[in-house]
Amino acid sequence: MADNGDRVFCHACGGVWSRADSDLTCPHCESDFTEIIEIPPDPDTPPPEQDPEPRTPPINPWADHNPWDRDEAAGPRPFGFMDSGSPGYSQHTYRSPDGRFTFSSTTIGGGYSSRQSAATAPTNPLLPMMFEGLNALFQGLQETHEPHEARSPGLDDPFMAHSSSWPNIDPGVSNAHAGHEGLFPRDTDRAQPMTPPVASLADLLEAFRTDFGGPRQQGRHGARGVAGPNPLAMLSALLNMDRNGDAVYSQEELDRVISQLIDHNNSGTAPPPASDSAIRSLPTKKVDREMLGSDGKAECSICMDAVELDTEVTVLPCTHWFHYTCIEAWLTQHNTCPHCRRGIDSVECTGEGTSENPVIIEDSSEAPSSGRRRRRSSPFSLRSSRSSGSRSTPQSPTPESSEPRNRRGSRGSRGSRSERGGITGWVWSRFGGSNE
Amino acid sequence: MGSQKRIAKELSELVESPPAGISVELADEANLYEWKVHMKGPEGSPYQGGVFLLKLSLPTAYPFKPPTVSFATKIYHPNVTNDEKGSMCLGMLRADEWKPSSKISAVLQFARQLLAEPMPDDAIEGRIAEQYRNDRQRYDEVAREWTRKHAAHQ
Repeated sequence: MADNGDRVFCHACGGVWSRADSDLTCPHCESDFTEIIEIPPDPDTPPPEQDPEPRTPPINPWADHNPWDRDEAAGPRPFGFMDSGSPGYSQHTYRSPDGRFTFSSTTIGGGYSSRQSAATAPTNPLLPMMFEGLNALFQGLQETHEPHEARSPGLDDPFMAHSSSWPNIDPGVSNAHAGHEGLFPRDTDRAQPMTPPVASLADLLEAFRTDFGGPRQQGRHGARGVAGPNPLAMLSALLNMDRNGDAVYSQEELDRVISQLIDHNNSGTAPPPASDSAIRSLPTKKVDREMLGSDGKAECSICMDAVELDTEVTVLPCTHWFHYTCIEAWLTQHNTCPHCRRGIDSVECTGEGTSENPVIIEDSSEAPSSGRRRRRSSPFSLRSSRSSGSRSTPQSPTPESSEPRNRRGSRGSRGSRSERGGITGWVWSRFGGSNE
Repeated sequence: MGSQKRIAKELSELVESPPAGISVELADEANLYEWKVHMKGPEGSPYQGGVFLLKLSLPTAYPFKPPTVSFATKIYHPNVTNDEKGSMCLGMLRADEWKPSSKISAVLQFARQLLAEPMPDDAIEGRIAEQYRNDRQRYDEVAREWTRKHAAHQ
C-alpha cells in the first residue's frame, strides 16, 4: 500500500506531506518518527486514482469502468464539498465522525446516480478485503433468499438487479436508481454499507429478517418501519435461523436446545389429563371382603392408607381402585391408572371376559358378578395377573380374531408400557410386583 | 396433607424394616421431604465395601410427582453423573414414567440394583458405559478404586 498516494505524518514536527518517493523521512525536520496515514486526505489533493480492480460480483458489466474518467472529463474539481455547478453532476462527500473515512457520492448526467464510496488510499489491506467479503456474503444471501425480487426490476440489467437487491440506505437514492437507465457503478470494494453505518446495518438486518422468516412486508421500505428494536437481537436470531435450526454457537444455546427437547419429550409422552366428566363418571363401589384379600387388609396405593370394609372407592376400567380424592388428583394430571398405567378411557376394553381380559367391572357398582374372577387379594396382585395375561395372549390363538387385535392395538398405544424395553421396563419387571 | 401422611408412613416402614443394604433418615427432622439414604455397595459389585450417601428429595406433590435421587458420594457408574450433582438416571423417576403407586422403597431398591447391574444402554456417562461394555476389567478397577477413595466405610 506504500504507493505514491500515501500521506505521511511526522510525529516530530507535526507536518504532513504526500509521499512522493519511497522515503519515509520527514522532509521538514528529517525525523524518521513518521507514520503513513490514510485519511483524511489533503483537501487540495484529488483522491488517488483507483486502479480498476477485479470487483465483486464479476458479472458486473461496469466492473472495469472507471468513474473518475468522467470526473476528469468534467474537469478537475475540488474534493470534499458538494458541487452542483455542472448540470446533472453532483458530488457529495461524507466524512465519518471520527474522520477516518471519507465517502463520496457522485451523481452524473441526467440521473446517473451513484454512490461512489471511496475510502481514500486505504492503507489497511484488511478493510477492502473485509468489505469485499461482506459484500459477497450479503449478495449471496440476498440472491439466495430473494431471487425473484432481486431480478424483477431490471432483468436485462444485471447491475440494476444487483443494486435493487440491496437494502438501500436512502429511499431517495434507491428511487433514483430505479428511475434511470444508466447507472454509475458502485464501488463494491468499498464501504458502501457504512454510510450511514447504523441505519445501514439495521436495514440490512431487517431485510434479512423479512427474508428468513415471517411474511414479507410491504417492500423494503415498508419493512424498515417495523425494524426490530435491537439489531443485535436480530443478528442473533439470524445466526440461529430464528432458532429453527439445530446449529448452535454457544453453550447456552446448546443447553437451551437440550432442555427444550427434554421438555418437549416430557410433555409429549406423559399421558394427558383426563377430562372432568371422565373422572366423575368412573364407577364407585364399596370395598367388599374379596377386595381386601386373604389377609383382610388393603390400602389405597396413592395415599397408602388402609381401606376398611365398606369404604367407597373409585374403580378404574383396569379394576384398580382408589379413594376418589386420591385418584382424582392423579387423573387431573394423567388419564392413566396410577398403578398399571392403563388408560381410563378404554372402558370398552373391559367389556367382556375373554381369555385376555377376564376381568369385568360392573357398571352398577353394587352388582357383584358371581362368575367373575374376584379372588384377588389386593389391587396389586390383580395387576400382576393382568400383566401376565396380556403378555401371554398375543401368542395364544384366540377365537375372536378381530376383537383382540383391536384391543391389542389400543393397548399398544397406551397400555403396553409394562412391556417397555429399556430402563423402565426393567424397573417394572423387577420391582413392579413388589409394591405391596 | 395427604402427601405428608404417605411420606411419613413410607418413612416409618423403611425405618422399621429397611431393605437390604439401605438405611434412611431425614436430613432434617423438621422436613419430611429431604431424606438421607445410606446405601451399601452390593456384594459382587465393584462397589462392595463402600457406603454411599444418597439424597432423596420428595416434591410437595408427591406421590403425584416423582422423587429425585442423587449420589452425594462420588461414584464411578454409567448411570450416575460424574459431577458434583451425582444425578442418577432412573427411568421410573422420569415425569412421564412415574406412577404414584411406586414406593420410595422400590425406588431405592432399584437404585441399589442399578449398582449391581449398570445399564450402559441408558447411560448418562457415555464414556463409562463404553468402558463397562468393552473393558469390564478396567471399569471394575476404576469403580473399585473410586469406592475405596470416596465411599470407604469408616
